[in-house]
Amino acid sequence: MGYLKYLVFRILNAILVLLIVTFIISALFVKVAEQSNLAKMNDEMMQWDRTTGQNILRTQGQDAYEKAKAEHEQFLREKYELNLPYWQKVYNKALRTLRLDFGTTTTPIFGTNNVSDIIKVAVPRSILLFTTATIIVIILGIFLGVRAARHAGSAFDRGLSIFALLTYSLPMWWTGMMFLLIFAFKLGWFPLSSMFDPQLTGWEHVKDVLYKLALPVLTYVFVAFGGWAWTTRNIMIGTLQEDFIMAAKAKGVPEHKIIYGHALRAAAPPIVTMIIFALLGSLGGAIISELVFNYPGMGRLYWVALQQNETNLLIGLTYFFTVLYLAGVVIADMVYGFLDPRVKVGASSKM
Amino acid sequence: MRWVDVKEGFKEFLEEFKREKTGIAGVLLLILLVLVALTAPYTTIPDLPDKWRSSAYWEDNPKNVPPTWYNMFTSQKLVPQVAYYSDELSITHPSSTETLIEAPYSFSKGYYLGPQGIIIRNINVTLNAPSKAPTYSLYLERPDGKTVPLVNNKPLTSSTTIAVGRDASISANIYVWLVNVTEGKELDPFQAQMDPIVIMNINTLVSAAFAKVEPGMKAEDIINNPEPLWGDYKLVLKIDNPTPDQNKVILDDIKVTFLGRSYGTMGTDYLGRDLWAGIIWGSRVSLTIGILVSVLSTVIGLVYGVTSAYLGGNADEFMMRINEIFASIPSLPILILIGATVGHVTLMFIVLLLVIFGWMGIARIARSMALQIKEQTYIEAAKALGAGNGRIIFKHILPQLLPYAFAVIALSVPGAVIAEASLSFLGIGDPTAVTWGQILNAAQAQAATTKGYWWWVLPPGLGIAVVGLTFVLIGTALDKILNPRLRKL
Repeated sequence: MGYLKYLVFRILNAILVLLIVTFIISALFVKVAEQSNLAKMNDEMMQWDRTTGQNILRTQGQDAYEKAKAEHEQFLREKYELNLPYWQKVYNKALRTLRLDFGTTTTPIFGTNNVSDIIKVAVPRSILLFTTATIIVIILGIFLGVRAARHAGSAFDRGLSIFALLTYSLPMWWTGMMFLLIFAFKLGWFPLSSMFDPQLTGWEHVKDVLYKLALPVLTYVFVAFGGWAWTTRNIMIGTLQEDFIMAAKAKGVPEHKIIYGHALRAAAPPIVTMIIFALLGSLGGAIISELVFNYPGMGRLYWVALQQNETNLLIGLTYFFTVLYLAGVVIADMVYGFLDPRVKVGASSKM
Repeated sequence: MRWVDVKEGFKEFLEEFKREKTGIAGVLLLILLVLVALTAPYTTIPDLPDKWRSSAYWEDNPKNVPPTWYNMFTSQKLVPQVAYYSDELSITHPSSTETLIEAPYSFSKGYYLGPQGIIIRNINVTLNAPSKAPTYSLYLERPDGKTVPLVNNKPLTSSTTIAVGRDASISANIYVWLVNVTEGKELDPFQAQMDPIVIMNINTLVSAAFAKVEPGMKAEDIINNPEPLWGDYKLVLKIDNPTPDQNKVILDDIKVTFLGRSYGTMGTDYLGRDLWAGIIWGSRVSLTIGILVSVLSTVIGLVYGVTSAYLGGNADEFMMRINEIFASIPSLPILILIGATVGHVTLMFIVLLLVIFGWMGIARIARSMALQIKEQTYIEAAKALGAGNGRIIFKHILPQLLPYAFAVIALSVPGAVIAEASLSFLGIGDPTAVTWGQILNAAQAQAATTKGYWWWVLPPGLGIAVVGLTFVLIGTALDKILNPRLRKL
């Protein structure tokens, strides 16, 4: 399979998944909305009966009243889409979602009711937080991992392994709570809430954002870098035993060049995939971590939407999470195929 | 495989495992965890999950206080909880109509404040002549000879619970006494009850009763900054029952609690719940869900992957597409959505959800391993002898993957534990269970981190970390022994 064909195949696959997920979300939410819409309709029906309905009953008699009532009920049923069968509604909702027509929220968030606009504010913030953190983690992880691999079995290597095992079992959001307790509450170095100050602009705004980003980023780095270093170490130890490294050593290539030039390049494909999946994985954790830090990104927004029962916003956010995630999967495949020539001939696609 | 081989192999494995120090540490931790989880009803409160959400059950506990052992690390010590039942109290009858109940309280040197409050409950009264109802008075006798009148001749009914520190009229009485001693003024208790000082300080006025109070001092200074008066106190409850034949007062169940400013092994939360009991009980859910989810998803993943590899061709393609679809769905948002939409969530439902979104990775690896095994000659031989697909998959291929499966099960437990805790933390959990995630959820909802209630946040997370570490230790040790080939990523 050629690279392009492979890529097209992956993208088609992602689109198929997106369609399925959109359908699942729609099916879930139409079910929820059905109940609340029925309640809303009954409310309005009663309201109508008390005012207009009673009026008609008095002036035009029983028959006219019955007729008008049936007409009004029909009108309300159409208004709340209660006249359509369940699957028709699911189909409509899914279609609108795929067209990025998410509708509006009942209460304004970030000063607007439009779901698309709300998401447009929140997404860059989440990406800012997790991209910054992931870049730091990658640099730190690879550097320390390579170091540990070079001195395998040393105190540094063993210390790193233990640290990695410990942090592997920690939920990131709990670590965030502990860091808040220690660094924000006890020591007062960082703010207790990472909510941005909307009053500030320009340089002051940048400073404010940096100050409020610091603790969430620190938490993420603390939890993630151990595992990264450990995995890098394992990959590097494997690569350092390969024949071409021996050959390079025999040729007298300097050690620095062997490690960073030869070995790391050979180990790049799995590491790159890890980078992309780390970015993707962080999106899930972001929901809770942002909630803990009160960081105004997508995750916290998700929580607010859930609490306030903003179905349209929930659908929009879930859709966005899915799109981001699938984009990441496709990019990972692309990069992997680019770095690892075997993918192009189809060996890996069968794996 | 013959039985002897299995026994031999197992022995060999044990020998090797014994050499893995981390694995041994993991097994010891696991045994400890299982013991803690199994003995939870005996070491703490039986059927805690039923009581956990009833705030009435925890009323005798102080709210938001740290554990008692924390005193070892602070200069300002916090008094512990003291409770007396009827057999520990001195109950005397000076006359036929009078009953005196006395509870000693020693306020030891070095403690920063007295108790947070005093609660007396479970006085059983049978009223046959309501016009001559029994009355009660409550006094606190102090080591400096002064007596604080807390309640004066109030009618006693069967629903009487005396709550010093939560009852405004009792706080008003303390304030009246305080002003009387310091300034010599006599205040009207009914008017004092409306006093903004009393209204604002209903809780803190108890510490004034346990503080140095001398004529000439300022009442407000004592309230705001009480200087402890250490020594032996005595709480006296006097019950006057003019008609003991008709109205009966039974004190068999009486309980007098001096609310601590520290409590038990792990402190309490905002409802006064004993966090230690909650943490211990939480280990049950954590272990059960962790193990159940990882075993189920590993088994499903293995069977799925092996079947897919064995069938090959279009069936394989189709099965792998399904696998990819599941793998590409961002699980947490979808899990939250499903949990929030379904409404009532049971533990088994959470297990089901986590399994549905957790078998894909294992299936992929199992498939790639099965592809290799499939090509071996003995599979051909089995086929030639007429073995069915099911028999080949379950008898010949799956057993070869078993050692790998054990390592995967152990290594995927932490993820499952964290996933359950995350869902509970978001409020999507079984409302009838006590879990670490739910304890942390309450802590987050009550802003425990921004108030510095570390004892509420630290232990549940440590619990999650310990469970995770246990299985990571076992998993990496198993991995090293059983799958030396697979260690290379």
